[in-house]
Amino acid sequence: MAAGGGGSGDPLSRAGVPCAFSPQNQAYFALASTDGHLRVWETGNNRLHQEYVPSAHLSGTCTCLAWAPARLQAKESPQRKKRKSEPVGTSDQIDLLALGTAVGSILLYSTVKGELHSKLISGGHDNKVNCIQWHQDNGCLYSCSDDKHIVEWNTQTCKVKCKWKGDNSSVSSLCISPDGKMLLSAGRTIKLWVLETKEVYRHFTGHATPVSSLMFTTIRPPNESQPFDGITGLYFLSGAVHDRLLNVWQVRSENKEKNAVMSFTVTDEPVYIDLTLSENREEPVKLAVVCRDGQVHLFEHILNGFCKKPLTSNCTIQIATPGKGKKSTPKPIPVLAAGFCSNKTSLLLVYGSWFQPTIERVALNSKEPHICLIRDISNYWAPKVETALTKVRTPVMNSEAKVLVPGIPGHRAAIKPVTSQTEELESKRKLGDKEVSIEERLGAMDIDSKKGKEDLPQTNSFPVLLTQGLESNDFEMLNKVLQTRNVNLIKKTVLRMPLHAVIPLLQELTKRLQGHPNSAVLMVQWLKCVLTVHASYLSTLPDLVSQLRTLYQLLDSRVKTFQKLSHLHGKLILLITQVSASEKTKEMICPGQKAKLVYEEESSEEESDDEIAEKDSDDNWDEDEEEKESEKDEDVNEENEEEDEDSEEKDEEENGEDRDVTIEKELNGDSDLDPENESEEE
Amino acid sequence: MEEEESLRVVRCGGSELNFRRAVFSADSKYIFCVSGDFVKVYSTATEECVHILHGHSKLVTGVQPNPNNHLQLYSCSLDGTIKLWDYLDGILIKTFVVGHKLHALFTVAHAEDSVFVTINKEKPDVFQLVSVKLPKSSSQEIEAKEVSFVLDYINQSPKCIAFGNEGEYVAAARDFYLSVYFFKKKTTSRFTLSSSKNKKHAKNDFTCVACHPKEDCIASGHRDGKIRLWRNFDDDKKYTYTCLHWHHDMVMDLAFSVTGTSLLSGGRESVLVEWRDATEKNKEFLPRLGATIEHISVSPAGDLFCTSHSDNKIIVIHRNLEASAIIQGLVKDRNIFTGLLIDPRTSALVLNGKPGHLQFYSLQSDKQLYNLDIIQQEYINDSDLIQIELTKAAFDCQGNWLATVEQRQEKETELELQMKLWAYNKKTQGFVLNTRVGMPHEDHITALCFCKAEKSENPTLVTASKDGHFKVWILTDDSDIYRKAFGWTCDFVGSYHKYQATNCCFSEDGSLLAVSFEEIVTIWDSETWELKCTFCQRAGKIRHLCFGRLTCSKYLLGATENDFLCCWNLLSCELEWSTKLNVKVMETDPNSENIAAIAQSSVGSDLFVFKPSEPRPLYIQKTISREEVHWGVFVPRDVPESFTSEAYQWLNRSQFYFLTKSQSLLTFSAKSPEEKLTPTSKQLLAEESLPTTPFYFILGKHRQQQDETLNDSSGNELVQLPLTENIPAISELLHTPAHVLPSASFLCSMFINSLLLSKETKSAEEIPDDVDMEEERKSDDSDEENDFTEKIQDTDTIDLGEDILHQLSKSEEKELRKLRKVDYSWIAAL
Repeated sequence: MAAGGGGSGDPLSRAGVPCAFSPQNQAYFALASTDGHLRVWETGNNRLHQEYVPSAHLSGTCTCLAWAPARLQAKESPQRKKRKSEPVGTSDQIDLLALGTAVGSILLYSTVKGELHSKLISGGHDNKVNCIQWHQDNGCLYSCSDDKHIVEWNTQTCKVKCKWKGDNSSVSSLCISPDGKMLLSAGRTIKLWVLETKEVYRHFTGHATPVSSLMFTTIRPPNESQPFDGITGLYFLSGAVHDRLLNVWQVRSENKEKNAVMSFTVTDEPVYIDLTLSENREEPVKLAVVCRDGQVHLFEHILNGFCKKPLTSNCTIQIATPGKGKKSTPKPIPVLAAGFCSNKTSLLLVYGSWFQPTIERVALNSKEPHICLIRDISNYWAPKVETALTKVRTPVMNSEAKVLVPGIPGHRAAIKPVTSQTEELESKRKLGDKEVSIEERLGAMDIDSKKGKEDLPQTNSFPVLLTQGLESNDFEMLNKVLQTRNVNLIKKTVLRMPLHAVIPLLQELTKRLQGHPNSAVLMVQWLKCVLTVHASYLSTLPDLVSQLRTLYQLLDSRVKTFQKLSHLHGKLILLITQVSASEKTKEMICPGQKAKLVYEEESSEEESDDEIAEKDSDDNWDEDEEEKESEKDEDVNEENEEEDEDSEEKDEEENGEDRDVTIEKELNGDSDLDPENESEEE
Repeated sequence: MEEEESLRVVRCGGSELNFRRAVFSADSKYIFCVSGDFVKVYSTATEECVHILHGHSKLVTGVQPNPNNHLQLYSCSLDGTIKLWDYLDGILIKTFVVGHKLHALFTVAHAEDSVFVTINKEKPDVFQLVSVKLPKSSSQEIEAKEVSFVLDYINQSPKCIAFGNEGEYVAAARDFYLSVYFFKKKTTSRFTLSSSKNKKHAKNDFTCVACHPKEDCIASGHRDGKIRLWRNFDDDKKYTYTCLHWHHDMVMDLAFSVTGTSLLSGGRESVLVEWRDATEKNKEFLPRLGATIEHISVSPAGDLFCTSHSDNKIIVIHRNLEASAIIQGLVKDRNIFTGLLIDPRTSALVLNGKPGHLQFYSLQSDKQLYNLDIIQQEYINDSDLIQIELTKAAFDCQGNWLATVEQRQEKETELELQMKLWAYNKKTQGFVLNTRVGMPHEDHITALCFCKAEKSENPTLVTASKDGHFKVWILTDDSDIYRKAFGWTCDFVGSYHKYQATNCCFSEDGSLLAVSFEEIVTIWDSETWELKCTFCQRAGKIRHLCFGRLTCSKYLLGATENDFLCCWNLLSCELEWSTKLNVKVMETDPNSENIAAIAQSSVGSDLFVFKPSEPRPLYIQKTISREEVHWGVFVPRDVPESFTSEAYQWLNRSQFYFLTKSQSLLTFSAKSPEEKLTPTSKQLLAEESLPTTPFYFILGKHRQQQDETLNDSSGNELVQLPLTENIPAISELLHTPAHVLPSASFLCSMFINSLLLSKETKSAEEIPDDVDMEEERKSDDSDEENDFTEKIQDTDTIDLGEDILHQLSKSEEKELRKLRKVDYSWIAAL
């Protein structure tokens, strides 16, 4: 029993499953698998369109299939002209599919109705049908079989029109000439028949094994000057079982030349061949050959006369799995079929298992001789009944996707150049620090800090720890410092921290602010404190804008959420601090703070000592802002200036804070917060 | 293409399928639905359109199968005709001219030569149900003027009229009234919902009516979600009704199953509810059907239901409430915000689809490819909810990136915006979310465009917003020590005097970016993001903006709201020309210099195709559509056409599609209708010829003959199909103790032979099968049974013997014998 479909036991049977693209725009792909099922896939969305199981699918497996030429569905009556719009013909509908079976019957299946349309049995073949070809015009069907005969069917009546012996052995392949008047048939040798008389017109040598595919490659003769009788001068192609050469033959007027004109070499037996017809002399024939080893070979050649050497492919396409990790190596995915799209520049590839093939459209614009496409088909194995019905595709949304929300760098404007700058600066500074630090650590600094520690009551500040943490970027150390909730402690620490650590601290704070909201709450305290205390220092920095841009954006976007509330808050704070500060000025004691660690001569405190009071520093800040904005365009700048002018009214929290600083400074002099703290301690 | 007719506007698919109830054919193989001016015949198995029935010149409003011939179909239309079709071949058989505008069609089995239609005579809102007598005549076109009045003041919708109990009465509902007309008594009863004046019940007006096929029972659906079952309505006083309540919103449609045992209802919840035995307890549900159920219909065979949905689809559902097929048109449920896009990868048309989805629609095959779920949130069908809308989408030139913008706005100040950037993953052949941007702008995003320059190595996206800014987003390397990654970040934020940014557009080579701020167009250098120059015409806000292409790339075009179309020269920074034209749609052809502009005039929309460099338009077509055109797009052709005439050359490399206000997708065709019927494709209609299977001979033919003999020998109940008990071989097989049974191989042939009773009987004389006959005689368990078989044999041989013999051809007989001899040998192996 020939249960194995194409007779798997037969060594001379062709490899691969019978499959075909629907004509014209390749909307469907029909595949008759070895389990006897016929499946039709939609090439556009890779969806199973329908599945059909012939009643005798176990005994009479499908051995070959062919799509009928498209019929036009919309029948319009031309006399009516009144209608304003009409359907665009619903294009040509693809319908009938002819299936040849292993027992010799031919089934016509209607893909539109999803049912068997008719069955051609009587007077036909009594052995395996090897090839079916539809006539492009008159609706006839030609089939050839292992019983050595070729049969011409009338599909309208489902009767045999003619049956003749085609060869001494089984006839394995057929092809109809472009003008529809000749028929090529092949067992091992190739014969060209005149269809009207059923007489042999030419003989060709053929192959040593049964020919599995025949195809005309040109529809016009190479020499257009000569009168064309429809067949002379045309080239055709043949491929055979177990043969790695595809031969090209030319139909010639003289009967003597029987050998192949040229040949193409491929890596394995051809399984599926598709080509684009060349319509004129200059246009090359494009040929896609799918081999049994799962590769696709592409040839592009202008057919003009002899060539002794077999031609190798211009391009080879392979498909493989990605092979993640070290254990799983990439595995090749076999290509089942390849067909040219109607624009001739892209290729439809069918790959994977015949049970669930993947259909992909690949553009052919690369000049590379070898293309390896990496495809992950693991998720195609699960049958997708649900999606087949609802036609919904869910794109992947995984956690790896980047999330941009207001305040995160990259949401408002570029940060790339800025970060590089700061990195440079930081590295410079660090280098400088390290150069000095060896000396200093050994010398002054260490002793200094120790002294400080000994001198001051150990309790409520850890500037040293903070500085060390910032320098070493020690996460735990920083956590210890930054996760404190004591406002006084924060104030004190900030006040005593070395100035060079301010910017790194700010950057660390910015980073943490973008993190978890819980920690951000703490960081806001720190940030507030740092900005209040070190505003004057910050305003002296020339590259402040670029260094703190992310922070600025962050504040900017956060403030926008409750704009009015923060306005109110800012104003209230302003009032409260003014009141409290004015109260304190009365009992203010001049801070006896000696500069213990002055290695930056122009520290901010001194500056503000020199009564560069509020206005000046405010101006500084304005300048900063201007600098910031100047990178944008002038218009924005104008806006900002406007804003700055009436900043009292529409200020944002940040600015509010700045003003807090300045105003307090104005009132308290430079070390404004110190006395407060001390008094509280007392 | 020798003879080119004038360009015509043609509909290119995606027409409405859910206008009226879909109707099943008698064998439930086909489904008929009205679609614009046509009736479409779909196969229920393959979802494919088998035929389009053309013939009506106006909207088709109803379709019904001919109750007297199950291969025929009636359809009625606003053009005042009823047409009779043969749907298997798609042939128009007859046309009955009625004369009035017909709004709905009903057929009843007992009224053989008349159908019922609804017409409106005088006032626009008053409809009548009338019966039309269809005269018998051989001619193609027949006047059918014999109209008799049945019911007045009814609802226009056919859902509110139902014929019950095999056509004994008709129920029609309107507002708060239910009227029932009895054909036999010729009386009308009218029922008013008692509490219709009450405010609490203000929403209980009728929405649909269905009648029980066997009993006197009417089901009515109401706006408040209740279903009422009316009984005893032949009495004005004693009538009763019961309530079924599950729907929380209006009941859209009702249908009884064929036997009347269950009632189907559906509504906005998009859940099909099956009420078994008309009780509230016995309910079955089929949920998640995707969109509001508009219509429900039941196949006459009873094995299938179908529901039509507001998103232009028909779902075929099995009796056991399992969806089996979906016939999906272009989704038209809601507004199209995204416009028409072309996916460069599949060259499919992309636009808003199901809520929260983008639909990919293949223009070649006129089929929806799939819906891409962008928002990925369960959609809740509720009219009061403010949903997340997918407002903008854009593809880059290769189709590797897709950008989508979704928004939800509850109150004026509470705008939620999200932009998602999807990367196409070639390995898995699908889109993967790359970057999600929350609140990319503070206000609505008005435009979104990718830089489409082929050579640009870095993809660039520009968003323009009403908040006065435009942002440039670029793809950057986000790799860290853990993984390699790419992500989008903002590269530049630009603004111009606080004006709202309304449009943005890249030049062909990607070197310039044009952003319009209300009336002003600004040109930016895409390398440095410097403002290069501004154009201002003071002619109203810019509505559309585009650069010229190829040889016309030095031009920039802008269409304003004050009906001006301006063309600026970018080299001289001067206005090249301007014209007064109310441009609604302006699209550039990706394959040529041409630009298509659709202008709105008082009578309709006009099309102008022009090159920016030339003062005269290439092509003008007036009134391409009576409605406003909302969107347009050029679709590159796979295979270029070769129109020689200069006027059509703009269609050579691309095709122009446009979408009107009522969401019909239209395009241009220069082919004449005759030409489309090329002789090669005209006829490939092979006859259906299936060889009848042996089983058909055994069962089908035999049963037919049996039925006939049953009719002939009336009342003779003895003549029946041979039941298994009646076959002596089987009864013997079953009753004999196993240890005395002969070998299985011996029994098998006997068993098979006994199954082939019919053949044995009719050819008993020819092939005397001794063994079988003997067996039969031996194994008479009861005399009666034997008698039966004898009788069967007699009747068969006498009445039909010849007939069957005649029908059995030689080959078939051979087939039968082969079957008997060969195929069952495997049983022996058991």
